[in-house]
Amino acid sequence: MSVLAMILAGGEGPALTVLTALRSEAAVPFAGKYRVIDFALSNCVNSGIFNVAVLTQYQPRSLNEHIGLGRPWDLDRTAGGVRLLQPYQSAKGHTGAWQEGTADAVRFNLEIIRNVEEVLLLPGDHIYKMDYNPMLRFHRERNADVTIATIAVPAYQAHRFGMVGADQAGRVIEYAEKPKRTYNTTASMGIYVFKADVLRDWLLGRGRKDTNLGRDSLPALVKEGNVYAHRFRGYWEDAGTIQAYYEANMALLAETPALDLYDENWVIHTKSEERAGAFLGPNAQVESNLLCDGCQIEGTVIRSIISPGVRVREGAVVRDSIILTDAEICPGAVVDRAILDKRVRVEEDAVVGHGDDRTPNRAQPARLNTGLTVIGKGAVVPRGVKLGRNVLVKHHATAKDYSEKEVPSGGSV
Amino acid sequence: MRVVALILAGGAGTRLGVLSEQRAKPAVPFAGRFRIIDFTLSNCVNSGIYNVGVLTQYIPRSLNEHIGIGRPWDLDRSRGGVRLMQPYQGKVRQQWYGGTADAVLQNIDYLREVRADTVLILSGDHIYKMDYRKMLAAHEERHADLTLAVMNVKPDETSRFGIVLTEDDGRVKGFLEKPKQAPSTLANMGVYVFNVNTLIERMLALAPQHEDLDFGKHLIPGMVESHRLYTYPFEGYWVDVGTVDAYWSTSMELVTGASALDLYDKDWVIHTRSEERAPAKVGPQGDVQQSMICNGCNVRGQVIRSILSPGVYVSPGAIVRESVIMNDTFIGPGAVVDRCIIDKGVVVGAGTRLGDGEDYDKPNEKEPGKFFTGPTIVGKSAHIPPNITVGRNVVIEADVDDEAFDRFEGVVPTGATVEGGER
Repeated sequence: MSVLAMILAGGEGPALTVLTALRSEAAVPFAGKYRVIDFALSNCVNSGIFNVAVLTQYQPRSLNEHIGLGRPWDLDRTAGGVRLLQPYQSAKGHTGAWQEGTADAVRFNLEIIRNVEEVLLLPGDHIYKMDYNPMLRFHRERNADVTIATIAVPAYQAHRFGMVGADQAGRVIEYAEKPKRTYNTTASMGIYVFKADVLRDWLLGRGRKDTNLGRDSLPALVKEGNVYAHRFRGYWEDAGTIQAYYEANMALLAETPALDLYDENWVIHTKSEERAGAFLGPNAQVESNLLCDGCQIEGTVIRSIISPGVRVREGAVVRDSIILTDAEICPGAVVDRAILDKRVRVEEDAVVGHGDDRTPNRAQPARLNTGLTVIGKGAVVPRGVKLGRNVLVKHHATAKDYSEKEVPSGGSV
Repeated sequence: MRVVALILAGGAGTRLGVLSEQRAKPAVPFAGRFRIIDFTLSNCVNSGIYNVGVLTQYIPRSLNEHIGIGRPWDLDRSRGGVRLMQPYQGKVRQQWYGGTADAVLQNIDYLREVRADTVLILSGDHIYKMDYRKMLAAHEERHADLTLAVMNVKPDETSRFGIVLTEDDGRVKGFLEKPKQAPSTLANMGVYVFNVNTLIERMLALAPQHEDLDFGKHLIPGMVESHRLYTYPFEGYWVDVGTVDAYWSTSMELVTGASALDLYDKDWVIHTRSEERAPAKVGPQGDVQQSMICNGCNVRGQVIRSILSPGVYVSPGAIVRESVIMNDTFIGPGAVVDRCIIDKGVVVGAGTRLGDGEDYDKPNEKEPGKFFTGPTIVGKSAHIPPNITVGRNVVIEADVDDEAFDRFEGVVPTGATVEGGER
């Protein structure tokens, strides 16, 4: 039995605001040294699947650079390995244009589904550890056309998911995409095993107008009667909002986190640069943190995620924050409940996350309203400037972009 | 110039005791995630030299595994790249490498095969950052037959080195290997640039008389009169961590900021083979100061002026002070580790005091010449029972189990050796 995994990594993830301004959601850094797509890629190779295609569209540069030939995952292979698939142009009358949704993306790349019996479709923007073999076995035992991985979610979250109702044998009898009201708590994880010919025939035949697998194709396929649901019981997180992203990172600081990154039997691989060990100076104070190789801490860091190469200078304080690669916090600066993207520089005596005013961000109130301040890649917070809560600083902002010494809560730069 | 580098990595490093018992000295871990040979290998590729031979002899397994096909250094190449050279059996000669130059001589075919005209001979057991390009340029400019990198050492160290006497222009007029009385403090670093033809000619000429053909002892002294030998003065950071004390104090300098070795320099990255590990985690009771901790560590106790390699676990209530702890070692709850060097995979039982007392100067009884400055050293995979006290200058051999400590009845005195690990 041969399997091709297709990882759908073209999504923008707009709810992550400036974190996805220059990269796709799948390429967003996680837990300091990883990127979100590392989980799907590592799950593939840890499950023995070495034939992987990654479908990209939105801002693929950092994803391309990260995956490269697939070395960290041992996917640089002669046969199989990883392939990065970009949208492409082609002669009139053929497919080839921007992809409108998941079904569209797969349809554009049907060409590569050759000599395989099953296609495993995976979202690239979920954080989870899953052995795909039990699901594949389940799929084969039932001779299913499609098998959907499912997980239990709280009822109030049902409106975000495709909700799956199955009978005793696991056969799916109803499927509702993002229902307003339901008693069902079994959600689709967006992970599907398709018989290769069923997928091909559907997307070129009756489903040729489908743009989205979950919304358009699955409800119709369920009516055909040979779709099964496979229950997954493990850690799974769709860190698609700023708050969910923050919580998923912070949850790793627990004594025994639900997501165990230290499991030698299920290593999450990533492309990492060569850096020396984390260095802590004579006045460093660290408490409940994740510290990556290459960071240099001279100040105080509490309950935070510190990525490779981050420098926290003497007298600086970082609390309850996520600091991405090579950012620098200068002496006397304070960072509190914030997410700093790569190469952000917080200059002397600046404050990020100031005061108790919880006014939601005025430009994006639906996305930034939980008190977190988010600073885009390469931006500078100039000396002495105070940023309130729910503040958004765009990537590569310079001192000239700040009109006042204080940006109140809910403001943007 | 067609340059090939040969790294001599066969040394046993006997003065490092249990740290080099199961690995060659170049394979001894350093600064958490590196091994000593990483510095020389990285210097090569950072200097644009991609033809590298590594000559091994003493327990090469961990070195072989570490270097592999040379990926971390981008030395996995279609042309050139890294080659590991073990001693081998042949029709004519079959013997171990007798000396440094003998090792090179036995791999003379490699020099011919890569058609190098210049060979850089390096030692795999020094820690330094050096751009060999400058030295090679100096060698070429002076039309030298041999250029030796030299540096000034302290007067009391001269007896450990080859001492060089020079003219004002750097030409060598005298060479004394490990002299008792030294007329100069200019020491040979063991970094040589040779013209390949001169080297081959000299080696073949001397080989019949010396089975243990050595650069410092035989080859170089014999060339001073007849050839153009020049020095290349080096002024950067360079250490030979050949003794337990040097290893320990060099490590301490790194964490206290007294060291001139910058491991965070992006223009001269030291590459190493590393496993994929999650970030280091500092727990709520964790407290880390003046230390270097690597990915995969879990620190729930106190760590002061120490280096923790990947995967070290420090339990709640444990204290690690002025120590070097290698990969995946476990420090039990409430244990106190003071001034120790602990190899990989060791288990320190709960409540045990490792490195206890003020008698730093009382040497190890079995090997007083090697261990007399205080650090207690623990070999790979040793298991140290809970609630015991271990003094200074103690050697705990690799793989020992709890039973090996029975005869000490809870107190291993300063200077003792704990033996009995199964091999």
